[in-house]
Amino acid sequence: MSAVTPRLPPPRRPLNTGRLLGQVLTYTALVLLAILFLIPYYIIFRNALLSQPQITAFTWTWLPIPPRFENLRAILEDPTAPMLTGLRNSAIIATVQTSGSILLASMAGYGLARIPYRWANQVFFLMLVTLMIPGAVTFVPSYVLVASFGWINTLHGIIVPGLFSTFNAFLFRQFYLEFPSELEDAGRVDGLSYWGIYRHILLPNSVGIITALGLLGFIGSWNAFLWPLIIGQRSAYWTVQIVLSTFLTAQTINLPALFMGAAIAVLPLLLIFIFAQSYIVEGVKATGIKG
Amino acid sequence: MSANSSNDELMGRNKPPPLFFSSRRFAVGSAASAAVLAACGSAPGTTTGGASAPATTGNAIELSHWYHQYGEEGTQQAAIRYAEEYSKIKPNVKVTVEWTPGDYGAKLNAALLTPEGPDVFEFSGPILDLVNAGQVADLTDIYGDARSDFNEIGLQANTVGDRLYGVKMIDDMGLLYYRKSLLEPAGIAPPTTLDELGAAIQALNTGQTKGFFMGNDGGVGVMGDMLLWSSGHEYLKDNKPDFNSDATVAAFKKGQEFLAANSGAILSGAPTDWWDPSAFTQNLTAMQWTGLWAMPGIRDAIGDDFGVMPWPAIGAGEGRPATFWGGWSQYANAKRPNVEAAKEYIKWLWIDNTDIQKDWSLAYGFHVPPRKSAAASAEPLKTGPAAEAVTILNQYGRPLFPNWTGAMGTAWGDAVNNILKNNADPKAELDAAAQKVQAELDKQA
Amino acid sequence: MSVQSVPTSTAAHASRQRRRQLRTTLAFWGFVGPLFLGLIVFTYIPVLWGFVLSFFEAKRTVTPTTFVGLENYLTLFRDRAFIQSLITVALFALFIVPATTALALGLALLVNSITRGQTFFRSVFFIPTACSYVVASLVWKLNIFNGLPFGLANMVLYQFGQDPIVWIGPPNPPWYWLVLVSVRLWLQVGFYMILFLAGLQEIPRSLYEAAYVDGASGGWTTFRNITFPLLRNTTAAVVVLNIIAAFQAFDEFINILSGTGSSNINLARPPLVYLYGIAIGSQDFGLGTAGAFILAAIIIGITLLQNRFFAFGREERA
Repeated sequence: MSAVTPRLPPPRRPLNTGRLLGQVLTYTALVLLAILFLIPYYIIFRNALLSQPQITAFTWTWLPIPPRFENLRAILEDPTAPMLTGLRNSAIIATVQTSGSILLASMAGYGLARIPYRWANQVFFLMLVTLMIPGAVTFVPSYVLVASFGWINTLHGIIVPGLFSTFNAFLFRQFYLEFPSELEDAGRVDGLSYWGIYRHILLPNSVGIITALGLLGFIGSWNAFLWPLIIGQRSAYWTVQIVLSTFLTAQTINLPALFMGAAIAVLPLLLIFIFAQSYIVEGVKATGIKG
Repeated sequence: MSANSSNDELMGRNKPPPLFFSSRRFAVGSAASAAVLAACGSAPGTTTGGASAPATTGNAIELSHWYHQYGEEGTQQAAIRYAEEYSKIKPNVKVTVEWTPGDYGAKLNAALLTPEGPDVFEFSGPILDLVNAGQVADLTDIYGDARSDFNEIGLQANTVGDRLYGVKMIDDMGLLYYRKSLLEPAGIAPPTTLDELGAAIQALNTGQTKGFFMGNDGGVGVMGDMLLWSSGHEYLKDNKPDFNSDATVAAFKKGQEFLAANSGAILSGAPTDWWDPSAFTQNLTAMQWTGLWAMPGIRDAIGDDFGVMPWPAIGAGEGRPATFWGGWSQYANAKRPNVEAAKEYIKWLWIDNTDIQKDWSLAYGFHVPPRKSAAASAEPLKTGPAAEAVTILNQYGRPLFPNWTGAMGTAWGDAVNNILKNNADPKAELDAAAQKVQAELDKQA
Repeated sequence: MSVQSVPTSTAAHASRQRRRQLRTTLAFWGFVGPLFLGLIVFTYIPVLWGFVLSFFEAKRTVTPTTFVGLENYLTLFRDRAFIQSLITVALFALFIVPATTALALGLALLVNSITRGQTFFRSVFFIPTACSYVVASLVWKLNIFNGLPFGLANMVLYQFGQDPIVWIGPPNPPWYWLVLVSVRLWLQVGFYMILFLAGLQEIPRSLYEAAYVDGASGGWTTFRNITFPLLRNTTAAVVVLNIIAAFQAFDEFINILSGTGSSNINLARPPLVYLYGIAIGSQDFGLGTAGAFILAAIIIGITLLQNRFFAFGREERA
């Protein structure tokens, strides 16, 4: 990009005009892109504080002034759309499902990567294949199966089938494959069993990848729709996404409620993001998908 | 991860497929799924409402009764109230109402595969497969003398062989709404042919306010059925495809010309779709095709400044005006232990109790009660555009068929789309669809 | 994998070795077993069940009795609509995969090249991942790409003196692709950017310095000679993950194009949407699962083509 090629490049003199220009251009591009990327969130939060006619009006309302906070009250007090119940269920489901699936996947990843079992590769391959099979294949049989366990209208009926993530196991395996074996050997010298090594050496060194995968798993769990819908049939078992869907019927869309609900539903995720985001790049590096 | 796939998805293991949407198109399987729409209003949601049962005597029977989520306020409370009233009459029966947001079809269909499903449920769509799979109980005997009081078309949708499997609870229909204050000064009479409709659209279009609105797909979904029916034909006749006759082919040619000439003056890409009256009430269009259900909302917004008519005939003396005749029916799940109790409940609620039928159809949204006597005695349907609508329904409403399955609907919808959107040859497309439909019919035999 | 030590005669030794093997086996299944057991119950059994269904006429039942052999598969291969759906999704992949890869890489390079505000920009590009397809689709359809003059996109066009465009609906020109591709880009590009960022940060600084000393000018030259080659694995991973996701496209199509009585879904109906209609809508599980297996075969085929860049190839390093 930089047009000027200095004849004798001074190894450490970072600020010449070329680089300065480059930085200015980079920041300009980043700011423009950032604005573009933030527009949809701006619209969600804007719509959450507008009235229905304002959202679909001829003229674009840039800012919700005055903000209609009654939208918030309206959906919190709507007995037919139990938002608080939904938030609670979603929190329970997402937390249990995420931590459970991370634990199972990291254990499996460790076993696959580090225990010299003769059929380990074959087992691994069997697991990988499931990644490529669309959920459409398994959806209905899974439902019938779970129903036969008597798990309809239970939280565990929603949670348990989601505990077994091959994809996470795959990434943990990649991570543990590259884990320095010296540490493991040291543990073995100290007389640690496989479990001891996993528990005391590998897990404590997996915070990055656990955070990254946990975050993504949490989002998936939080935003899941169809499975919770058909399993949690009574409103006591609805997740926040199901509650949201009550504002979007085939006949009508209650836009302010829907967007206020969406804003409420996405807020916890955004907070977790901001909190956890410094781990994410580290975590992804750890998974071994890299250069 | 977000890129992840497959199985993990539907279980919510990773990235979501949060897919709530109206799958009615699938459930009913044709563009006419429109017909299943209920109404307009603002949205409530749900909880289960159980009748707080009085002390039960004898063996208590519990029935679970499923509804999809109606858009009108008060419907859920009404459904719960009916269930409670029933418990007063039948103290040993406790009915639990389950109100379902999101994809009702997916949830209901899944539940019907298991012994856990509902005892009583509503459904809107072709029932042949349900009957064949033994999912719905025979309700012929609960009709009794009331059978002749139900309109024929409603009965037809629930008849397989000579048995009746469901009871219609509401009838829905489409109407072409127009603004009197825009048509009259321009000297435009409500159009009675497709050509007149085109002329009116052109005359009424001001750019800011378009001439007509029939959906964000440019009206293709709505028009397919209307062209067929207004050409004087049906999906099926004597269990054979009836949509590739010369008259229908000619109607589709006319439809292509109609869209080529007028699509610039027809609204598309509006924030709300044809089943919502907002485009009409907010002056985005002078005329709109939408449902009877939208009438209360339209009256609230623009007073009496509107008239209604059916979809116009193809031409003068050619074909006939048309509208769809849809709605929802109630069924008893044949796989549940208390089928007899469920049938009794359905009989009480949707056959005997005309007051409840009128309340359900008219107190929240706007539908026609399926019993002729109830429709005739309902005050809100006696005057003005509502009365006209009932006349239109009885005169021009076209039926849905219990064996018009989703696969047929898809074949038909694809043909319509190819003809009206991609200007494909109507004859070839309709013949191809007829072949596919015939193959499906053969499988049913 | 497991190293066979040279047998030193005695039976005691052999039994000790067997015991060690047993211990290894037990340890392996102790770790992998819980996940594998869950997969058996919640994945393999349903998959096998689905596979069996695909050879039956199974309407509104998952315990069918009418065996039809390959009939369901043949029906689909003869089905113009299904073939069209495969073409549609291939087209979609052709748009979305390069677009996502290029944009994600571009963002990663930009973010990586700055010194201040990295965290901020990284967050901004990543947070769309938290949004659900339903909500994003609604925002796209309702506020950004509605066909009236007051949609955001049309307001921008107006500034350039252009007439408003009806984005979703008309088949020509196919603006709806812009809507579909842009919503998925927004939702997923941040995730792939993170993958690239991780890859970029693993590239040793010394390589660039060496190149600098050798007279490279930075910019395009170093990108072509150092950065991109060293990101090859990341790029391959991004491409594969993207292809798998693209072939399973569903949500934005349903949420943007489908609607009661609307035919817009005919503009672009990917296979999962078509099969969802068959399996969940019409409850024809035989045909639906057959279609899903065809799709799975296609996805596996494409993935295998890529595998030497990714996944299976890597384990050799262990």
